[in-house]
Amino acid sequence: MSKRTSEAARARIAAQREALRKQEQRKRMTTIIAVVVIAVVAVAIGWWSMRQGESEKVTGGLAPVTIQEDGSVVMAKPGVTAPVVDVYEDYQCPACKQLEETSGSTLKNLAAEGKAKVVYHMITIFSDEPAHSNSLRAANAARCVTDGSQYMKFHDLLYQRQPSETETGFSPDDLVKWGKEAGVTAPDFETCVRQQRNVSAHEQYTSTIMSSLKLSGTPTVMLNGQSLDTGTAFVPSALRDAVVKASSKG
Amino acid sequence: MVQLASGTSVSERLQTAKPALSWVTTAARLVLAGVLIVAGAMKIGAPALSVQAVRAYQLLPDGLATAFGYGLPVLEIILGLLLVVGLLTRPVAAVGGVLMAMFIVGIASAWARGLRIDCGCFGGDGSLAAGQDPNYFWELLRDIGLFACAAWTVIRPPGRLALDSALGLTGPPEAGEEDAPSEGLHEARSEAPSEARSEARSAARSEGASGSPSGGEDVRR
Repeated sequence: MSKRTSEAARARIAAQREALRKQEQRKRMTTIIAVVVIAVVAVAIGWWSMRQGESEKVTGGLAPVTIQEDGSVVMAKPGVTAPVVDVYEDYQCPACKQLEETSGSTLKNLAAEGKAKVVYHMITIFSDEPAHSNSLRAANAARCVTDGSQYMKFHDLLYQRQPSETETGFSPDDLVKWGKEAGVTAPDFETCVRQQRNVSAHEQYTSTIMSSLKLSGTPTVMLNGQSLDTGTAFVPSALRDAVVKASSKG
Repeated sequence: MVQLASGTSVSERLQTAKPALSWVTTAARLVLAGVLIVAGAMKIGAPALSVQAVRAYQLLPDGLATAFGYGLPVLEIILGLLLVVGLLTRPVAAVGGVLMAMFIVGIASAWARGLRIDCGCFGGDGSLAAGQDPNYFWELLRDIGLFACAAWTVIRPPGRLALDSALGLTGPPEAGEEDAPSEGLHEARSEAPSEARSEARSAARSEGASGSPSGGEDVRR
């Protein structure tokens, strides 16, 4: 009697163990499959997201760049007057640097293709030091450049070497050196940079822009006077689509 | 660590006894999932902005900030979807909890350093609009609440309406259906206090031996 019971018990235990093992195995398989599926989906979403952030390459040369009386800078093929893409930037603003890195090449290409007239408006939005003075020094130096294509090179260089908002940067020495690197030929460039000749003109321009446009911050990109949301401005393909659509309409 | 681990084993045994609490897990899962999905979806379309929002914290070196900016929205969406369906609930909630802890640390550090930024939690480039003030307190409170949701889900996974249960991925199988509940309860009753005691002991030890590496390791183990 007791023997039979223990045999039955043993059999039951063995069966239970087997069931347990099977269950564990199934569990492991399910987990592995789930993880693989998740990984595939993650890669797919990640790939799509990478595409959204992909920048264009500047393929050809730039469209002619002309420096306006008020300090704004126009980049457009001759005769192209619309659509107008206005870019409001501060040399010290990190998000502007990000915009330049992400969508700067798209704007250059659109202008070179004759699909847009791009206008850069450099302003100073910072009121705290040292960012405020950094921004003023950089903007002043850029205004010392008199040739359009040299201006764009200097502009791009300033963004590449943007200092931290919390450190003093854009020193006159650096600005003079970088100007030479960008091939600036204006004879009084160095004195202009060191004497900060254009600061008051720049400050005046900033206050004109701020009072007339009520910008919420920099960078602001406007297409025919309409502010583009950041989801368009910072997504090169979306920015291109928006501009091309506006140009075909006009 | 210790708290979570010991809380877990106790709660797992109690789970059958208090089914209402598993609905709480479902709710916690869904709240966390909803926020993660919305936050990820609002960021993923413009990864350059997301990178900028990470940089605004001035905590990570450039390369890492870029990776984080691109990776975070994807991670948020994946975690959110998994929490909705309740698949691999515990590890997913654990990752979600770690994420929330990182956000809490990041925002608190931005606040402490006197930065004036937007948390960038739901898109944007991390900069405040003109005339806008930082909102650190509410951002922190929200993330602490979400951390609590994650912690609860880690302690009591997977809740009702979870794929984990449907696929049989939950907990070790109960041996001997007939007498499992009473045994489980008995175990829980007898073990909970002893575990609480050991927890207190190890906490005391780690406090006493703070600075001694062996003490710290002991607790972790």
